[in-house]
Amino acid sequence: MAYQNQYRQPQYNNAPADQGFLWNIFQRVDKDRSGAISDTELQQALSNGTWTPFNPVTVRSIIAMFDRDNKGGVNFNEFAGVWKYITDWQNIFRTYDRDNSGFIDKTELKQALTGFGYRLSDQFYNTLIEKFDRQRKGQVAFDDFIQCCIVLQRLTDVFRRYDTDQDGWIQVSYEQYLSMVFNIV
Amino acid sequence: MSFHYGQSYSGGGPQHHPPPGAPRWGSPTPGGPAGQYGGATAPPAGNYGRGAAPGSPYGSYGAQGGGAGQYGQGGGGAQYGGGQAPGAPYGGYGQPQRAAYGQQAPAGNLPPGVHPEAQQWFNTVDTDRSGYINQKELKQALLNSNSTPFNDETCQMMFNMFDTSRSGRMDQFGFSALWMYLQQWKGLFQQFDRDRSGSISGTEMHQALSQMGYNLSPQFIQKLVGRFSPHNQQGAVYLDRFIQVCSQLQTMTHAFRERDTGMTGNVRMNYEDFLAGAIGRLM
Repeated sequence: MAYQNQYRQPQYNNAPADQGFLWNIFQRVDKDRSGAISDTELQQALSNGTWTPFNPVTVRSIIAMFDRDNKGGVNFNEFAGVWKYITDWQNIFRTYDRDNSGFIDKTELKQALTGFGYRLSDQFYNTLIEKFDRQRKGQVAFDDFIQCCIVLQRLTDVFRRYDTDQDGWIQVSYEQYLSMVFNIV
Repeated sequence: MSFHYGQSYSGGGPQHHPPPGAPRWGSPTPGGPAGQYGGATAPPAGNYGRGAAPGSPYGSYGAQGGGAGQYGQGGGGAQYGGGQAPGAPYGGYGQPQRAAYGQQAPAGNLPPGVHPEAQQWFNTVDTDRSGYINQKELKQALLNSNSTPFNDETCQMMFNMFDTSRSGRMDQFGFSALWMYLQQWKGLFQQFDRDRSGSISGTEMHQALSQMGYNLSPQFIQKLVGRFSPHNQQGAVYLDRFIQVCSQLQTMTHAFRERDTGMTGNVRMNYEDFLAGAIGRLM
């Protein structure tokens, strides 16, 4: 899974959140008391800091990352991972969102991704902003920023699998290409 | 090794004309690469008419109310004739549609270009009566045959496609276009759901994609179906995912073809080109 690959993940060494504290949150988020947090429950619990609903696609991506047995939600143990994952991203995001607006602009996005090790052209950042600017502000909100990073990482991982000589170029067939973008390699 | 995309692939890009108001990332033509791959792929109009009679299990697909029986009467079906791929949702719909439905239209003042059934549905969907619907309202209105809501990716994709002002809300005109678009997909879906199970199986998907002109291995299609099935029902693709898979296949095939200038079936691309192709088109 994408998350196990640490190579461009945020590396923050926060002390692990206290179990009692997490349990408390888990119970509040797990509204139907099913013992697992669903997409909808997590979405309702998350805030992107801009008074708009958290991007449901981001929520789905995060749940899928930690939902080990494909049950469509996360149990308490898995939730600890989700919590850490989101707070790590939050810390990263805050570093770049200097005015605390809840958004980062193109320059800040570039700084953030460059910090993760991406080397991408200016034009490509325009594409990124255009695609992940869900609120159409010319800037990227926290939830969309996470989604942007998840997608970039997934595509980078799959690219590297084919780029065996690590020269930044791949040669692929039609079906290989489709498998790469459909994430079914 | 020679590579065939389809029976009569007819060269490069210029014929890829997005319909007016279409999103930049490709034409939202259901039915996949029909136009580009050769005419064989447009489903014959007849198939639409026969299918679902009113009250059949298909009635419940997208619409809450509305929609049911739509295909049975050949309402949408007629439009598919003439070999036109069921695409170009904007073209070809206006006149005949209004004419056909004119008499049934409620006595109200329907603005031109708005399908009465779409309008009716719009009123149901616009729960806060704002005159606009947002993505959340849209999602609440779209259901698969097994009563699960449409997945977010497909909702987002369709919303962005018809939210031409990019304002995050859609008026009745945009919605009417979206509604027609959805009806076309439903028609295709029902046509390929040969056993009327309400979902597309691996075999049915294989038939569907080959009819649309794709040349894909059974192994690939199997993985594709696995990836887009609900986790508790492997091997069953519902309408939302069907729309998603077909749209994405179409745009990604287009992206590949743009790079495969020699038509060898292989492309060489660098990292950023790969990223841009996938990100620019996939969402």
